[in-house]
Amino acid sequence: MALWMEILISALLVLAGLFAIVGSFGLIRLPDPMTRLHAPTKATTLGIGGVLIASMVYFWAAEGRVSAHELLITLFLFLSAPITALFIAKVHLHQSEKPEALPKPGEAVDWASFAPDGPARGVRPAPEAGDGDAARQG
Amino acid sequence: MSLALIAALPFLGALLPGVMIRAGRNACATVTGSVTALALLGILLHAPAVMRGEVVTARFEWIPALGLNATFMLDGLGLLFSLLILGIGLLIITYARFYLAKSDPMGQFYTYLLLFQGAMVGIVLSDNVLLLLIFWELTSLSSFLLIGYWRHLPEGRQGARMALAVTGMGGLAMIGGMLILGNIAGSYDLSVILTQGDAIRADPLYLPALILILLGAFTKSAQFPFHFWLPHAMAAPTPVSAYLHSATMVKAGLFLMARLWPVLSGTDAWFWLVGGAGLITMVLGAVIALFKDDLKALLAFSTVSHLGLITMLLGLGTEFGAVAAVFHIINHATFKAALFMTAGIVDHEAHTRDIRRLGGLRALMPVTFVIAAIGSLSMAGIPAFNGFLSKEMMLEAAWDTGTGFAVLATLGALFSVGYSLRYLVHTFLGPVRDDYPHTPHDPGPGLWLPPAFLAVLVVVIGLVPQAAVGGFVKVVAGAVTLGEPTVYLKLWHGLVPALYMSIAAVVGGAILLALHGGLSRAWDAAPRPEAKAIFDALVDACARAARGLSDGLHDGAVSRYLAIMTAAVLAYGFWAWSGGEHTPGLRIATPLSPVPVIFAALLAVASLALVALHRRRFVALVVISIVGLVVSMAFVHFSAPDLALTQLTVEVVTIILLLLALNYLPKATPVETTAARRLLDGAIALGAGIGVAALTWAFLSRDRALPAISDYHLANSYEGGGGNNVVNVILVDFRGFDTMGEIIVLGIAALVIFALVDGLLRGPASRWLANRVPDMPQAGDRHPLMMVVATRIALPIALAVAVFIFLRGHNEPGGGFIAGLVAAIALLMQYMASGFAWSESRQHFDYHGVIALGVAIAVLTGVASLLLGWNFLTSTNEYVTVWPLSKVHLASAIAFDLGVFLTVVGSVMLALASLSRIGRRAGEGVNLTPMDIDPEAPGRAGKEPH
Repeated sequence: MALWMEILISALLVLAGLFAIVGSFGLIRLPDPMTRLHAPTKATTLGIGGVLIASMVYFWAAEGRVSAHELLITLFLFLSAPITALFIAKVHLHQSEKPEALPKPGEAVDWASFAPDGPARGVRPAPEAGDGDAARQG
Repeated sequence: MSLALIAALPFLGALLPGVMIRAGRNACATVTGSVTALALLGILLHAPAVMRGEVVTARFEWIPALGLNATFMLDGLGLLFSLLILGIGLLIITYARFYLAKSDPMGQFYTYLLLFQGAMVGIVLSDNVLLLLIFWELTSLSSFLLIGYWRHLPEGRQGARMALAVTGMGGLAMIGGMLILGNIAGSYDLSVILTQGDAIRADPLYLPALILILLGAFTKSAQFPFHFWLPHAMAAPTPVSAYLHSATMVKAGLFLMARLWPVLSGTDAWFWLVGGAGLITMVLGAVIALFKDDLKALLAFSTVSHLGLITMLLGLGTEFGAVAAVFHIINHATFKAALFMTAGIVDHEAHTRDIRRLGGLRALMPVTFVIAAIGSLSMAGIPAFNGFLSKEMMLEAAWDTGTGFAVLATLGALFSVGYSLRYLVHTFLGPVRDDYPHTPHDPGPGLWLPPAFLAVLVVVIGLVPQAAVGGFVKVVAGAVTLGEPTVYLKLWHGLVPALYMSIAAVVGGAILLALHGGLSRAWDAAPRPEAKAIFDALVDACARAARGLSDGLHDGAVSRYLAIMTAAVLAYGFWAWSGGEHTPGLRIATPLSPVPVIFAALLAVASLALVALHRRRFVALVVISIVGLVVSMAFVHFSAPDLALTQLTVEVVTIILLLLALNYLPKATPVETTAARRLLDGAIALGAGIGVAALTWAFLSRDRALPAISDYHLANSYEGGGGNNVVNVILVDFRGFDTMGEIIVLGIAALVIFALVDGLLRGPASRWLANRVPDMPQAGDRHPLMMVVATRIALPIALAVAVFIFLRGHNEPGGGFIAGLVAAIALLMQYMASGFAWSESRQHFDYHGVIALGVAIAVLTGVASLLLGWNFLTSTNEYVTVWPLSKVHLASAIAFDLGVFLTVVGSVMLALASLSRIGRRAGEGVNLTPMDIDPEAPGRAGKEPH
């Protein structure tokens, strides 16, 4: 493997490690959950991204083949990270914020989590346990 | 006819009465009788050979490794008893046909009777003591059914239970004795044991073996102090009493003593134990019998007394005693069965068995009177009847033994005359009364013919004993003593001491009867122990003690079980460790690398955190998941990708299901124990932790004592199991049977969750759930758009991954279990995203069915290899090319793996479905649309139109 390749891979790994540390440090130091949400995004995107790119470069340089696993990992990260963040934010809103104190999200609609008709939205009442319910379970 | 077939006939025949009763009571009785008659015919066909002194045998290897062979033999003793069992059985079957009321389930009765008969025939024909024990226990069980036949009567049930408890416990003791005996003799075959008499009597274990065997024989034959169950067993219908207590069950103990007579008798212990118990029983039973007013109770105690007589004769250990015992077994069976049947006739006709309410039946029931007279005079020992002959022999044997024996034997005979005459005089003689509960008259021939037949035998044997049974008694006694006994039965012995004793007994008995009124009042006034009360108190005390022990150990709190078990294991471990010689292991430790250290530190921190935080349940779950993840990382580190994958997926599923369950439970664990208790628990936990750590260290710091099995697995995985992934081949091939058991357990666990939730929803918890107010603020947007979209994208990918992992499992990391978990997680995600009911209505399979299908496929895979002539679950493999795929290496074990896959998916989904039922009961709605807020829809999306 050429020296510059090794340097490139090492630089990517070090960079990735730095971002991961920064993300973790931020997770500890930032004051409240909403701001804290920002910190790990550095770790997941830039930190892990750096490792993945380093890995792809390594396999291309060392074994002469293009490795696609890393792309899949990236895809799953892109899928899962925002949803995790969404749920963390929702929990925070419910536990620590008052709906009145929040800015309005739009003209006609309210924050989904604080929708006035709450869990009743889009549902029909539960069937009585023991009749239809049991019959369905067989 | 083979002996094995004869022993099996009643058992096979027991299937018939239940069917034939539909054709009527006569058909049922005829069929039952035919079965018995057929078995009797089989025995009779062998009789000439046995009379010539031969021993008929039949032999099958059953479980040779245990020394348990189905070997049968028929010698003189076996011939006598099988004739009694089958012959009197035939009479009883006839008698019972007419005795039982229309409302009694007759098919059931005959089934029980045949089962009992088979067990008895089995006992007397067995040539293997283990086989004999099996039949012995079968008689206890089947007699339980017979005695408790009138299950609507509390006396019947209690009597049956008492008989089972006493004879069953005796049987247990006898098992021990027989095993010792077989051990000394070096074989469990009776024919071998019988030749080892001297070795057995000289063995230090002779006495324990003797006592244990005698416990079995005495309980069965109702010998003092176990005589009390027999009278209570009289609650049975009279045919049962006549059968069990004249000829069969109670004679089983005598049979056993006679059978083992050559090896056990002849010692002081035998003389005093058997002779003493027999003598006491004889006198005690006779005395009590005199004061019983119930006809059957009188006969029951007289049976006890006569059994004692025979036991005493066997206990003397002399050849003459054995001959007398054999002769009396024959005589007692004939007259006592006849007497029981007459008692049944009286009960049947007069509707009472109370002697005080009877009397004067002679004129009303002449036929019954004649039979009863013959029977009771024989029982009293009056000349010209067979009872006289054997009683003379008994008195002679007692006279020869010593003065004490002679006096007590005469006393027993005296009381015997008393109750025999009372049976006759107080029931049949005297003036005709007008206050019978029901005016009696002679029954039809069906009821009196069987006892009449026996009465004829009584007279014939009594008048011409030598011609009638002399040769037979000689053969039987020869089988008992293993010698050539001299037998000469005759009516007149001359003016020997026995004659004077006999005269004294008859005169004394007559005087007793004359004084009976006063004596009876004195007897009733005298305090005496009530056996049933003592027995019940004993049983109650045992039950209380057992309950106290089990309640103390198992009070329903899982923490107590765990504490007791852990502390016990710890104590035993420490005991073993301190008892042995411990030397430190010599293996050199591998150098520490940083990764395992980090893992170990994480594990330790997580465990400590769990202890500190366990009262906050959500946090505890998070901490537990750290432990799980670290463990799966450890598997990765040690190059076990299968285990890592399994651990990871199991972890995910478990945590999700726990979270769902926790939703409806309190979020914090309250403090319920004292500080001292927690300290104790902590000490136990710490001790166990230290113990396990020390044990692990001890193992790791030495070389293995035995070669590991992993080398075998590695070497044979591809050759034998057709796969390169050793872990998977172990699961589906090497240890496929284990896996099959495990998936069945998994399926059962899922069904149990379902059943528990079902019970919960039908119980009071259902109301609580319906009125439950959530203890946390509920989100409006339960099913957010992002989650729904992401899971929809992930579903096909995850399912494809599951299929991929499943297919490659046999050669690369993967397999049915992991694939099942992955598929289950893929489905779980859909349920989380859009709610259970919404998702469930979009797929139509029944989780119970999936579990069943999985187990069935796994089992059928195993059966398929059986059908092809291999061992269960043998697998084969082949390289297959299916266009457009490349060449695939397929093993037949993949079908088994499919079963595992389906069971796992079904179990996880059933657990989830059960949890969702709780949720719906708690008021959670069912979604109409996949997500709560659909931006495409105008206004309030997804709302049901009103």
